[in-house]
Amino acid sequence: MSRENNATSAQPNLPEPPPPVERQIRIGTDLLKKKRHSKDPKGKGFWKRASKQKALLLMSLPFVIWLVVFKYIPIGGWLMAFQDFKPQFGFFEQEWVGWKHFKDLFNEPMFYTALENTLGMGILGLVFGTASAIIFALLLNELRFHALKKWTQTISYLPHFVSWVIVANIVITMLSQDGAINNILVSLGLIDQPINFMARPDMFWGIVTLSDVWKETGWNAIIYLAAMAGVDPQLYEAAKVDGASRLRQMWHITLPSIRSVIIVLLILNIGNLINIGFEKQMLLGNNIVMEKALVIDLYALDYGIGMFRYSFGTAIGIFKSVISVILILICNSVAKRIGEGRVF
Amino acid sequence: MKRKLSNWALLLIILLGIFVLAACNDEETSSEDDSNTDNEEPSAEDPLTLTFFSADGTEKEFNDPVAQKITEETGIKLELDYPVGGNDEAIPLMIASGDYPDLIFAKGDIGKLIEAGGVIKLNDLIEEKGDNLKAMYGDQLNRLRNSLEDPSIYTVGTYGVENAFWETSGTFQIQMDVLRELGYPEIRTLEEFEAALTEYYEKYPEIDGQKTIPLSLLGSDWRWLITVGNPAGFAAGKPDDGQWAVNDDTGEATYKFLLPEFKEYFKWLNGMNAKGLLDPESFTHTYDTYISKLSSGRVLSIADQSWNIGDADKALVADGKEWKTYAPLPVTLNEDIKSQGLKDYGFAGGWGIAISSTSEHQEEAFEFLDWMASEEAQILVNWGIEGENYDIVDGKRVMQEDDRERMNTDKDYGKETGVGYYVYPFPQWGNGAVDSTGQSISPNTEQDIIDNFNSAEKEVLKEYEMENWIDWFPSPEELERSKHGTVSNYTIPAGSDLQIIQQKADDLTEQQITQAVLGDPANFDQAWDKMIADLEAMNIEQANQEMTKMVQDTMELWGTKE
Repeated sequence: MSRENNATSAQPNLPEPPPPVERQIRIGTDLLKKKRHSKDPKGKGFWKRASKQKALLLMSLPFVIWLVVFKYIPIGGWLMAFQDFKPQFGFFEQEWVGWKHFKDLFNEPMFYTALENTLGMGILGLVFGTASAIIFALLLNELRFHALKKWTQTISYLPHFVSWVIVANIVITMLSQDGAINNILVSLGLIDQPINFMARPDMFWGIVTLSDVWKETGWNAIIYLAAMAGVDPQLYEAAKVDGASRLRQMWHITLPSIRSVIIVLLILNIGNLINIGFEKQMLLGNNIVMEKALVIDLYALDYGIGMFRYSFGTAIGIFKSVISVILILICNSVAKRIGEGRVF
Repeated sequence: MKRKLSNWALLLIILLGIFVLAACNDEETSSEDDSNTDNEEPSAEDPLTLTFFSADGTEKEFNDPVAQKITEETGIKLELDYPVGGNDEAIPLMIASGDYPDLIFAKGDIGKLIEAGGVIKLNDLIEEKGDNLKAMYGDQLNRLRNSLEDPSIYTVGTYGVENAFWETSGTFQIQMDVLRELGYPEIRTLEEFEAALTEYYEKYPEIDGQKTIPLSLLGSDWRWLITVGNPAGFAAGKPDDGQWAVNDDTGEATYKFLLPEFKEYFKWLNGMNAKGLLDPESFTHTYDTYISKLSSGRVLSIADQSWNIGDADKALVADGKEWKTYAPLPVTLNEDIKSQGLKDYGFAGGWGIAISSTSEHQEEAFEFLDWMASEEAQILVNWGIEGENYDIVDGKRVMQEDDRERMNTDKDYGKETGVGYYVYPFPQWGNGAVDSTGQSISPNTEQDIIDNFNSAEKEVLKEYEMENWIDWFPSPEELERSKHGTVSNYTIPAGSDLQIIQQKADDLTEQQITQAVLGDPANFDQAWDKMIADLEAMNIEQANQEMTKMVQDTMELWGTKE
């Protein structure tokens, strides 16, 4: 028994103040030591500690319940991927088919097209989305005229609230053969004939990425701006004294200061690389560019639930989750190695 | 510390898991107790509400005069539900949740409902109390059967039993003005069609200051099937069998794009594109853009269903541009091929309204459907209410003048008054049927259709010395009634190889044909051969065989096989 435990058990009726962090850690290490050295069959210390921290435990309970109900219990549905699920039968009356749906999936050439498109557009979106948001935030941060800065920021994140249905229609209209973009390009003499942008499979990824950047840059910049606001002004002053230009200050002070924020956000976003959704691709795509527009979610919708193949759809879902976990683990360990902020 | 906490979490998870499972079980049993079983007879004062999902429904309350009359007669009120935004997943989601409405019109998804046990067999009900339905279907009742393995009847309704053919839809249509300008030429083949468009286009490169579009299609979404895929079949003289071409005598089915006739058609379309006669945005513009192009009057020809361009047609007439509306043409690849615009597919079973297995009012729902097939109901839903929508003059029904007018011009007429709104997809006698006094059951007769042509149509018809556009087309008698119905109404088993292969083949052809059409004519043959090779690689032959079997089974089921 450690000294602390003795002290508290001496006065069990007194309300226990939340232990300071340092002390908690000490309790933790003490308990670990105890476990290693002596057996405690009744687990007395464990319950004692639990009763000591009951306020904290109670507070965390709703979130644990939420987590279990909405995140863990549904995972049980994964078993469906190994069945030939037919909704008219109960869960345990289904026919078990083992890895059949995964085999079907990996034997399907369309799936690889979908995977390539998903990762392609995901990576493009991540690179250009992050870069544009950081650059935009840097530029806004340099604005000294406060009112203008606020206005620009507000206007720039408004497109975030516009639905993709509307954005897609704007994009298609702008890029149509008698649309604004073609008119400008022709009148500037850059091209002779209007380009039918939406009919060019080679341009589809670019169009999706650009419309995404247009829509989300302002919104994504908010978090970087907030991080920049926290940089110590003394650093800038010192740099100024040393004769650093505005660009130098950006490079040597602002960016290094928000580096950990950038890395954490990158890791989180890379985990979602494969979950790029399908709205953009479905709304902007058409039959001509389908080979470049088919993404995994669209494939799962058309060939999974849309065809009543719940098990097949689940198999796709599991595959996506596995890829996400692998991506996160890789990024996290890379971040760990270069000694930067990491998620866990 | 870390490890201890995760033990804690584990314990909590297990405890909660048990807790939640127990809670779920409780809920199930208690909800069973709550379900009230009221056995009262529905009446007009205290109507019984049935929920009705229609795959073709639109937002509407069941409260128009015709609906009120239906409630008065049957004691049934319907709560109408519809898929939002053309949602394909409505039925699968319904099955996944197990939450069915009382009545379901699922169109092609009915097979999924049957497989999921979501709908009930109607055979016994029809035998016991389906007198109106039996009288209506007569010897075609067999066409309602599901399959050879399960020859039960699950659905009733959708299409009329006795059909007349006064209109065509889906073939090429050309602007009336083109016909007038060129002195009313005979247009039978693609060659003549192209020549007419070229001549007019050279004369009028611009219409109202905007560039003239000789031919526009809409291939950017599912309408690819009706403006690109189906017109190819019509040009090749194939009746509409969805994505299939079926030999009506042997029942042999082939995925239609494998046939050389289709290649010929698309080669022609490829040439149209190379010559600048095809709207370059045909495969990228949205439906709204397409309709606004048509409404501007600068599109000389289309290949579309009449119902798809209704808005553009109304807009053109409203703008006084009657000459910019369209006349249907019996255009085919060559003169030896008959246009199938007036093909009689017979009563197409397969689709229809089903009663859900979870409904607490199955008997009432069936009685309602049976009542809809009665003469009284058919007159009500087709003509409306006597004294309000129609009068009886000399023992004959005559539509009131303003109703007649609104029926033809106001697209909200049916929705507001209910007249004609409850004909499809309910059991219906068909526009060729007559009632017990020998009068037509439908207020629309061929004469009405002719009377309702706009001024330009009337003049063009006069020039060609015709009564109606159908005079251009080979008659239904000449084409003979289809022995297998049409594959478009077949229910392909959910999750079957046939369904998956067809879906993959459809995706592939939509993409590759589009690319081939838009590509360089020099590369067309190569692109087409590649597509055929890809189709063969995805085992299209197996799909052909399975579909052939399905057609032959249907013919056997219906007793039309020789």
